[in-house]
Amino acid sequence: MTTRREIGGVSADVSLAAWSDAAGPPPARPPADPRRKRAGFAGESATAYAFLAPNMLLLLVFVLLPLGWALVVSLQQTNGFGAGTFVGLANYGHLFGDPLFWRSTLNTVLFTIIVTPLSMALGLGVAVLLNSVLPARGLFRSILITPMAISGVATALLGLLLFDENNGVLDKLLMAVGLPAVSWQSGTTAAFASVVLVTLWWRVGFNMLIYLAGMQSIGPELYEAARLDGAGAWQRIRYVTVPLVGPSSFFLLILNVIYSFQVFDIIFVMTGGGPQNATSVLVTYAYDQGFVTRDQGYAAAIGMVLLVLMLIFTAVQWRVSRNRDLVE
Amino acid sequence: MHISRRQFLGAAGAAAAPLLLAGCGFTTSNSAPAANSNTLTFTTWGTDSELAGFRSVIAGFEKANAGSTVALNAVPYAQMFTNIDAQLQAGNPPDIFRVPYYTFGRYAGSGQLLDLSPHVDKSFGDRFTPAAWAAVQNTAKPFGVPHHTDTSAILYNKAAFQAAGITSVPTTLDQAWTWDQFQQVLQTLRKTMPATKYPFAYNWQGNGVTRWLSWLFEADGRFLSPDLITPAIDSAAGRSAVDFTKGFFPQRLVPPNSAVKSSTLAADLWYSQTTAMVSSGAFAIPDATKTLTFDWGATFSPRRSRAASDFGGNALVATAKTKQPALAAAFLDYLTQQEQMNTFCAGASLLPTRRDLVAGGIKFAVRPELSPVFIGQASTVQAADSGQVASPSMSKIITVLKDQLEQAFIGGQSTDKTVAGISAGIAAATAPAR
Repeated sequence: MTTRREIGGVSADVSLAAWSDAAGPPPARPPADPRRKRAGFAGESATAYAFLAPNMLLLLVFVLLPLGWALVVSLQQTNGFGAGTFVGLANYGHLFGDPLFWRSTLNTVLFTIIVTPLSMALGLGVAVLLNSVLPARGLFRSILITPMAISGVATALLGLLLFDENNGVLDKLLMAVGLPAVSWQSGTTAAFASVVLVTLWWRVGFNMLIYLAGMQSIGPELYEAARLDGAGAWQRIRYVTVPLVGPSSFFLLILNVIYSFQVFDIIFVMTGGGPQNATSVLVTYAYDQGFVTRDQGYAAAIGMVLLVLMLIFTAVQWRVSRNRDLVE
Repeated sequence: MHISRRQFLGAAGAAAAPLLLAGCGFTTSNSAPAANSNTLTFTTWGTDSELAGFRSVIAGFEKANAGSTVALNAVPYAQMFTNIDAQLQAGNPPDIFRVPYYTFGRYAGSGQLLDLSPHVDKSFGDRFTPAAWAAVQNTAKPFGVPHHTDTSAILYNKAAFQAAGITSVPTTLDQAWTWDQFQQVLQTLRKTMPATKYPFAYNWQGNGVTRWLSWLFEADGRFLSPDLITPAIDSAAGRSAVDFTKGFFPQRLVPPNSAVKSSTLAADLWYSQTTAMVSSGAFAIPDATKTLTFDWGATFSPRRSRAASDFGGNALVATAKTKQPALAAAFLDYLTQQEQMNTFCAGASLLPTRRDLVAGGIKFAVRPELSPVFIGQASTVQAADSGQVASPSMSKIITVLKDQLEQAFIGGQSTDKTVAGISAGIAAATAPAR
């Protein structure tokens, strides 16, 4: 025999046999001691803080303090020795009238605008290919990821071997097929193109890897459904793959932009910012100011501008990205 | 054997600790000096030959000064001055370090170096050539010792010269090519070489841009007035130096990728036989002798109003915070004594800065027949030239020279605009504050 009873505010059918008089009503759970609860919560909080403390300490010592110190240095005229002279915003004011700063900023933005979409598009394209039933796809994946294991300096040295306009492989190949040699090192546009190409070679594998991971979480039934609905290969990529790798795209966009704004090693080794400052970017310019000209206050000001630019970009991207948290 | 998670983490932590400590600047290296009041720390970079020379001199010093030791810290050149700067800023610099002359002024001018005047007698400077002694002065006081110099002469590919019909090259300083004669040599080579090869490459890349100043000095010009503040390059000599050197590029006398901001070094262009000649320091002789398969020789740099050359090489300095200034000065004195300097320079193919060794000659251990070319070339350096290069503002001036000469060489910037740009840049660099 069953009867309807309210248990915990929820109406449910329960067996009366389960409620024998001998057993009596189920013992009520004693109310929690609020002092004990607080003590437990405080204990948990203390444990959490203890676990967080090492990271917080590292963040404070190696990120926040240097950042604050860089801001202080950017308000000084200093060559690194002694206390420096406080000059207020003079370093920032000087930036506005410095054509090399503007050239470096323009180059940085141009580099970012070219490299970010290209490396993401190529990475997605390769990921789509390697997510299919391509023969030896494991081998291809490994080959494409290999550049990630090579340091930027080594990559740039390889780039030098390729793009050397006297003895480089590329110009020799071009001339072998009757084409004119390209001034990869002395032509401004060609030099810029050479650092873009080497950066793409270095970065596409990483983009491919992240996209591949994102794509492998998409259920095959979605593609099956799209196929049954008559979607072609391009439409499946456009309307299924691209939206569903939104979180990967968001992550890669932020990383690629930050990496592009911070590009240094490839340019420093391959072109040194030349020819005619055609490949000078904000970080190489800051390096020149800090360690060649030894105007460390001015270099710090350039670094702060770079930080602000990246923060603005990240904030805007965070606000406008609609599919950063999209999951299947 | 079973290893628990806790044991594994503990062992991993113990293994990683030295790496972490090293990363924080602590080191367990055996090379770290003991807490010995008679130990000097000496930081330098160097080729194998140079480091062997330093070790030999240190052994001699320790033998001659019982109880004193010198801990040698050899680092790559690329890290040398970021390390030194960090140590100076942290107040924990080495007692002695090695420094190029063009960087010397920056340290001396900011109070980082030990004034040697109280520790050496008044005649100490007489042992050096005037140019060398001038290069280690700041506010008329010596803040270092000129350990060696190195200047650029011309290395040439004998087969390329023969192919162009150039059968003789200057063998004495007074026969050195004039600018006009040098231009003719370049043109002759150009006519006989394929389009992908070039007659010449000059070693003005990177901070080597200071070597461009040799052309200015050959035209009897200056870039700084004697006060080392006022720009002096806006002159007929300045314009002729810019004009002559920028003319190399449109005439294809030098490779287009050999301008001052190029990442391709002039020596590499010559090594790969892309060029028939290169301007090079003597320090390249051991490597060139070991690796090059073609026959090559050396001759003097061209001259115009006078012969001149860059005052390359390095000084040795003691830091102002050394706890043993007397011992540091004694070590610097020992390093620059005749026998020690002779051994070091001959072994490393570098040029001495002592008057007696310059006058008496020195024979390099490798290709000794080339020694007179480089010693003769070094003798053309004047104290007024090296004194300008030792200016405290040289770091900033280097940047100005790089930017302006790059624009002139491959950017098509006019000579007048280039000279005006360098002049304005020098004025800004030597101005006291922004």
